Amino acid sequence: MKPLKSPKITAASQRRYSEKEYQDMPDESVWESFCLGNEATFSYIYKNFASDLFSYGFQFCGDSHLVEDCMQNVFIYLRKKRENLGQVKSIKSYLFKCIQYEIIKRLKERGVLVDTNEYQYKKAFSIALSPETIMIESESQEQKRMMINQALDQLTSRQRQALILLYEEEMSYSEIADIMGFSEVKSARKLVYRALASLKEVINPS
Amino acid sequence: MDNKQKYILKYKDYELEDFLGDGYFISWVKNPNGNSNHFWERWITENVDKSETVMQAATIIRSMTYKNKPELSNKAYVEIFENVLKSEPVSEGKGNEKSSHPTSIWGTIFGFHKIAAAILLIFCAWIILDTYVVKEPVELAPQKWEVRENPAGIKSTIKMGDGTVVNLNSNSKLTFLEKFPDSLRLVKLEGEAFFDVQKDGRPFLVDLGKTQVEVMGTTFNVEKRQEGKLSVALVSGKVKVKDELGNQVILKPMEMLKINEKGEVSLTSFDTTEIIGWKDKILLFKNSNKTEIIQKISDWYGVEVQCDPKIKDNWAYSGEYHNESLENVLKGIKRTLNIDYNINGKKVDLIQK
Repeated sequence: MKPLKSPKITAASQRRYSEKEYQDMPDESVWESFCLGNEATFSYIYKNFASDLFSYGFQFCGDSHLVEDCMQNVFIYLRKKRENLGQVKSIKSYLFKCIQYEIIKRLKERGVLVDTNEYQYKKAFSIALSPETIMIESESQEQKRMMINQALDQLTSRQRQALILLYEEEMSYSEIADIMGFSEVKSARKLVYRALASLKEVINPS
Repeated sequence: MDNKQKYILKYKDYELEDFLGDGYFISWVKNPNGNSNHFWERWITENVDKSETVMQAATIIRSMTYKNKPELSNKAYVEIFENVLKSEPVSEGKGNEKSSHPTSIWGTIFGFHKIAAAILLIFCAWIILDTYVVKEPVELAPQKWEVRENPAGIKSTIKMGDGTVVNLNSNSKLTFLEKFPDSLRLVKLEGEAFFDVQKDGRPFLVDLGKTQVEVMGTTFNVEKRQEGKLSVALVSGKVKVKDELGNQVILKPMEMLKINEKGEVSLTSFDTTEIIGWKDKILLFKNSNKTEIIQKISDWYGVEVQCDPKIKDNWAYSGEYHNESLENVLKGIKRTLNIDYNINGKKVDLIQK
């Protein structure tokens, strides 16, 4: 097999950065270096985000083969188009959008997903509280934890997705709005607040 | 200083859920050594009474995580990377095109199909239920989508493979999978339809774009003719109407949910003949004005109605027609409203007497 169309050899595409240098670079610069054809930067991106992409993608379908396949398609596509890709402020949320788009497209083709108001995969974005958590100082901690877990299961999958993005993936509301297809940031806030309101009833019943 | 004072005031009034939803607070909890630490450490010493709430919020934020988080296997990690590096260059405009601007597939997959009502009625349940049940989705061949579309003047009845019967009104379009998957029965509706859903364990979902109606086994009517405006009327059973923000309303029998153009939601009772009479071929006018009458007649009979500008729009016409011809309906209107009419093929003229 021939390698992908080799990018132009320029100083930028050949420059070697250390791990530390990459970590200090803003996402825009890392992305720009990738777009200029720097293969070391591509490796860095793959190494850093492959595992996150996989666990995020898995939430839509629970099918690791499909997610792996979609990851491969996404990376091939990005490399093919690298010269024409625009600026990217956050590589992680950009890649999340790509993998999500690819997976949803495939699920729709199979007819197991509708236009995404609600993911039909029952376990989509299941959240659990880690068991070591100390919620309140009482004997019924374990029971409380179970109740919260149940309340989390009752949320809509989109609400859980927003919570995961907010807490686990540490994304801002504007990134969440972007990934979840809201034109306004306040819609993402609303989604989260509605979820929190239902959780609060279980955590601190009034 | 001023600025800080404001912050303290604001956070002082926070309840648990406010902390849980606050981006600045979350980023401190996740990175306690970051830039916001100076603020929060001081804030907590200033607001000891809130410390329990803060601790609770922090614990929840830290402990929420994926329930199912499989690791990408070493084998897959290596394979994907290698395949990506070795992938052949694909010429522009061919192959696996993707854009970073997701677009709806509905528009592209379904061409415009005009199908006569006769054929629609013949279309019947030949789909054999697949009893092979899988727990997790597996790779399946892409399914074929069926499109049923009625122009003005045509109504049809569709019997689906699962036993569900759908009356599709004129100027309406229903799209569904040739064979429903094991997990879900999904149909997409533009326009109006009456559903008699067969209970079979799988949820039945009517997709209306931004809103969805979910049912288990029930009879109900859905109308959505333009973006934003919507009505769902439940005859029996139980349905759930939900939107993209997670809002949801559960309807009880004989309740109707209406959303108008402004997005205002109302829940009322309804007159069965008025709302679902159409499926039994009952054309009903209830204090209808000129515009409503013309709209109804042109949809119902698939005709173009021209109206003499001299005719005033001060009608409040009521009338009920059971499977009547266009001629008879116009005769009734003529008598009550003192106008005249002319039928010329697919054209109707209303004339001032």
